[in-house]
Amino acid sequence: MAPHLSHDEFFSSLTDLLSKTSQKSRGSVYLTQKPMTDADSSNAQPSILIRATDGNTNAPNPKSADKSGKSSRVTKNKSTKVKMSTIVNPGDLEFFYARYAEVCKTGMAGLKKRDRSKRKGKAKAKGGASKTEA
Amino acid sequence: MPYLLTSQAFLEQSALLLEAYPETTRITTKYSFPTETPGQLHKRRKSERKPKDTTSTPSSTTQTPAEKIPLACLTLKTFNPGTGITLKYRTNKGAEVSRLMTGLGKLAAGADVASLGVSGAGPTGGAGDIEMGEAPAVDEGVVASSPALQAAGSQTQTTGKAAGGGKGKKKGGKGKR
Repeated sequence: MAPHLSHDEFFSSLTDLLSKTSQKSRGSVYLTQKPMTDADSSNAQPSILIRATDGNTNAPNPKSADKSGKSSRVTKNKSTKVKMSTIVNPGDLEFFYARYAEVCKTGMAGLKKRDRSKRKGKAKAKGGASKTEA
Repeated sequence: MPYLLTSQAFLEQSALLLEAYPETTRITTKYSFPTETPGQLHKRRKSERKPKDTTSTPSSTTQTPAEKIPLACLTLKTFNPGTGITLKYRTNKGAEVSRLMTGLGKLAAGADVASLGVSGAGPTGGAGDIEMGEAPAVDEGVVASSPALQAAGSQTQTTGKAAGGGKGKKKGGKGKR
């Protein structure tokens, strides 16, 4: 298993991964958080382990590879899988998550943007509906 | 494994689950684009490959995917492997991301339901109000918002009551402990 990254390294590769996925409009990014359960877990607060992976969703589709004639039987190639992890000490949690939220917000560009014209449209739709009712 | 209707409800229920099983419960955030059907994929491949054959003019072709970009989806999942309890929340609104992530940060720091409800409304007050106002208007959120609000109100009294206001299932998990 790859060693845990520092926070800076983690954030830069996460930014990279998210922006790549958003650009392609394909694939997934999985972010997992869980407490580290070490031998010294008796302490008040455990460190949090953060993992990020693309679940190998950016690997080429084996079906389409078949069609193009190249590499007909593709064995599951795990080398294309992107995964990284970092450990956050309880003291750094607040600072880490502030950055984490920022990275996610900017990286997840494929989500729906805030729609400013929504309220207007809704009002219109309401008016239209009431008209049809009347 | 229920999909909770509001993010607030998700965070509260997750806090309860984390409180009950702090060591084994994990939270996964999935950011994913919808998978393409073989037909769609074929179409896209075709349109991608064509320009390569004709060579040159790559600039015009790179803009073709802009015509129909699939919308991504954000799914949050709190899972406890021992009991098999799964809580999920799904959204496609970009505006919710930072609020959700700060919520997850609070959960990671071991926040209990009461502190989530009180402090959660505080710092994100401006944005939160808009979110909550929008959510019920969209669809069946109206039903969900009322228990959530009740829970938020009763948090100051007892956490047990808050659990009752939320979901019955969660209560069982707490009782076991």
